[in-house]
Amino acid sequence: MNAPSLPPRERDVVDALVTDRYLETLLAAGDRRAADAPADADLDPDIRAAALVLRRSMVRVHPSFRFEERLAARLAGMAAQVRPAAAAVASAASSAGGTVLAFPGAAGTTGAAGTTGAAGAGSPDGTADPLLDAILCGDLDPSDAGAVARADRPPGPRRPLIVGGAITSAAISIAGVAWVAWRASHPAEGPMARAARTARSRRGAAVVLPGGGLGGPA
Amino acid sequence: MSVSRRGGCNAVARAVLGRRGQAAGSVVVLDRDRSLVEAARRDPAQFDALYRKYLAQVYAYALYELADHHAAEDATERTFLRALAALPRFREQARPEDGPEASTFRVWLFRIARNVVANERRSRRRSPAASLDLALGAGLAIADGTDIEADAVTRDEAAEALRALRTLPDDRRRALVLRFVDEMSTAEIASVLGRSEGAVRVLIHRALGSVARELGRDRGSAGRRGHA
Repeated sequence: MNAPSLPPRERDVVDALVTDRYLETLLAAGDRRAADAPADADLDPDIRAAALVLRRSMVRVHPSFRFEERLAARLAGMAAQVRPAAAAVASAASSAGGTVLAFPGAAGTTGAAGTTGAAGAGSPDGTADPLLDAILCGDLDPSDAGAVARADRPPGPRRPLIVGGAITSAAISIAGVAWVAWRASHPAEGPMARAARTARSRRGAAVVLPGGGLGGPA
Repeated sequence: MSVSRRGGCNAVARAVLGRRGQAAGSVVVLDRDRSLVEAARRDPAQFDALYRKYLAQVYAYALYELADHHAAEDATERTFLRALAALPRFREQARPEDGPEASTFRVWLFRIARNVVANERRSRRRSPAASLDLALGAGLAIADGTDIEADAVTRDEAAEALRALRTLPDDRRRALVLRFVDEMSTAEIASVLGRSEGAVRVLIHRALGSVARELGRDRGSAGRRGHA
């Protein structure tokens, strides 16, 4: 391509901009039913040819009418369940002066104002979608890739983990436990920390006197 | 299954206005789907309008990604059900630089679709990769029926292009599908894929380069077979 004086990385960016501009005009030309669009002289002819082939070949495919109507019916069923639930939440909030919130916990077992199992109930085949229940409960944002990936883990209660005699949740990592142990043995520097360390060392050095009292070193 | 080539709603505006954002100026930018989204929020039954509007786009995206008709239908269904469930929490984020035809709802919907398709691909990892041209069926190239020879050439070309598409890394293929099939702008693709606009431009440029090389290789091997 052109612009040989540029470093390869910047040349790539410039070429990408030229390609992007051509694709904009090519897609606009499609609306006018034109086969091609004018391009910059800088555009690689191979790139242009590939774009033209993909423009002709990558068609938008529509699903079957039967599928479209079946899904429309399922969405309508779900909408009918969501509507009274939303109304119930609104009326409860207005009468009691508060807001009903879904308890953040196991998806599908609780839900805001009776939205429990909306996915399963709304489906004609009765199959429940745990992620859908989590979305309805407000636990999951479906457009968040990380959240969906986390929710994709196999279901089941989190098992407690015993580390060093302390029962902790699996949400606390081994690294976290190690950090706490290290921090306990390496107290932060500061007047209070120094005072506490001094007091602890004196307590350690204390001996039991024959009379039953405590005494430090002479 | 029917095949359609629907023009992008914002393509003409883009061509007239040139680079995005130039026309925004003093105009108050509204999300293209704002009225539909607000209606669906008030009454979930009104979600049907959004569903009909974007069904083909989401289904086509899923089909190009999964290369399986049934899996694409399943992914489409999950996408719309989750979108309806999460609609109360959808936040419109139209920016002036997105242009007057921007739809943050479409971007949001495609982010859901991308996650659903990713889950579907993970669960189907062990099943053999399907052929995209077989999945798309005979309607690959739009034939006019008057020139049989030209139709055959067009079909061959389409099959070659789809084979080249399948050889691309996931992110490059995904960017091309969103650009050519769903006719998204670079800004929209960047939002869907969670990348910068510059990164998406480079991604598409490189993807086209790979397709060009693949097409050249195919033609080279076909030519050698013809001479032999």
